[in-house]
Amino acid sequence: MSWTIDEWFVVALARTIRPAETVFHGFGSPCAQVAMHVARRTSAPDMLLVEGAMYAINPDPPFIPPTSNDASLSRGAAYSMRFEEFFDAAIRGDVDRMFLSGGQIDAAGNTNVTAIGPAGRPKVKLGGGGGGCNLSATIGQLTLWTTRHRSGHTLVEACDFITDIGHRTPLGTRAELGFTGGGPQWLVTELGVFDFPAGRARLVQLFPDVSVAEVRDATGFAVEAAGDLRTVRPPSVAELAAVRSVDPLAVRQAEFSARELTRVFEHGAGQDCAC
Amino acid sequence: MSLHPLRDKRASLADAIALVPDGAIVALGGGLSARLPMAGVRELIRQGRRGLHLVGSAHSIDVDLLVAAGAVRRCEESYVGFEQDLGLAPAYRRAAEAGSIEVAESCCATMLAQLRAAEMGLPFLPVRGVRGSDIATLHPEYATITCPFTGETLIAAPALRPDVALLHAPSGDRYGNLHLEQPYVLDERFASASRMVIATVDELVSTEEVAAAGVTIPGHLVAATVVAPYGAHPASCYPRYAYDRVHLREYVAAAQGGPDDLDKYLATYVYGGEESYRAAIGPERLAALAGWSDSTSAWRELFS
Repeated sequence: MSWTIDEWFVVALARTIRPAETVFHGFGSPCAQVAMHVARRTSAPDMLLVEGAMYAINPDPPFIPPTSNDASLSRGAAYSMRFEEFFDAAIRGDVDRMFLSGGQIDAAGNTNVTAIGPAGRPKVKLGGGGGGCNLSATIGQLTLWTTRHRSGHTLVEACDFITDIGHRTPLGTRAELGFTGGGPQWLVTELGVFDFPAGRARLVQLFPDVSVAEVRDATGFAVEAAGDLRTVRPPSVAELAAVRSVDPLAVRQAEFSARELTRVFEHGAGQDCAC
Repeated sequence: MSLHPLRDKRASLADAIALVPDGAIVALGGGLSARLPMAGVRELIRQGRRGLHLVGSAHSIDVDLLVAAGAVRRCEESYVGFEQDLGLAPAYRRAAEAGSIEVAESCCATMLAQLRAAEMGLPFLPVRGVRGSDIATLHPEYATITCPFTGETLIAAPALRPDVALLHAPSGDRYGNLHLEQPYVLDERFASASRMVIATVDELVSTEEVAAAGVTIPGHLVAATVVAPYGAHPASCYPRYAYDRVHLREYVAAAQGGPDDLDKYLATYVYGGEESYRAAIGPERLAALAGWSDSTSAWRELFS
């Protein structure tokens, strides 16, 4: 049995979802979108899945389209929230987890999806944050992700612009800012997985073809590695089957560079059982 | 403005869009690839509108095309782009980087609060987030307030009352009653917060038909109804048609190419009017987009 990095990455994202959570992904987030459906079919069957820009509850899409508010994404859902129903629920604290990414992510888990360079005259104007600057304040836990860690430009010492709020910004901690959500809990990259003890990213898992030195080279902030740094657990047969059936168009791959997509893994001697 | 009597509100696209003055605050309905008011957007360009202040949640070709045509002074959306699939919005990005438009990037939840304040006739509503985010620095109009009951510090976001909302619906009647399918995005909020609603509909139906389908936006909020078949294209307008990814890719390539390629795009698709637009897209392609419901494989084929 073999699998590719995009499949394993999505599985690693899916595993950050805990049973019975209400979970949301933003638009333009195919990896997070696929991961939520994988979790619902494997480790978290009782989760409440709120589908991206359709706000559909527990849909079973026939495929994941390359756009986030297509009607295919609400197929099988008995109900779709109105825009304001979703935002009200998130702001009053009834949404447990959200997936967030960014063109830049710093050690406190702040993300920048607005602009690289000075905001008044940006070097690169990114798309924008959607609802993130409010949602990141009140949603229970955040799973951050990026598939561009290796570029060296994504995990930075300080974001040029803070769109979505992590554990602290120059204006204060989450508690000082009056935010009711817990902030970033995980950061999953194509190189490994970070957690946030004491509000700062710490490397806890690596993909097996990546070294700590490579992670340090690609990261703009000082990387602390956990004492019990582990290899990301291989995907199970059920998890891989879920990825492939949820995402037959492989929209998840749009987030990866061509180089990353050549990373293929095999279950073999010396590796954990992937059954 | 009082509510509109239920008179016959049918108008031509040109007459309806002529109600939008230069410099107006224009709310764009729909979002991303769904139910964008593209017929109205193209007509704004044909009429040479300038200095618009666009507001909306997450948008794509509607905003990018208006920016490309030089119609926009200020952009106040939460996102403008083509998602992971086709990437950044080329004209919007170029104009933002050159400083030729003001980018007042907003947040969906803040904009929702601002529209609700306008709907309720209140000067502002408080929001809990935003503090600590640099989004606040793009909005000097926000204030910080202390809750008189809990002592919490919150952001006060002023009411947002667009001059015009452009909304597209799959069907509606002559009195302005509109039926929408999900996602409604901010259309309902725009309808009651704005000074004027201009609706385009793929098909004009009887009041009985729109009532049976379900009235999402009532006629008393709508000033003009324009029949514009495929008026959301290349966005989707379910249940009628799926979005046209092939056309979006063509647009993005033209917008990335720069002014000459964009001029060619505008000449081919925009300047000739809506009938000429549909002819340029081609009846076979439009029929394929409308055939999304034939089978799951036909639907899926549109996305591959």
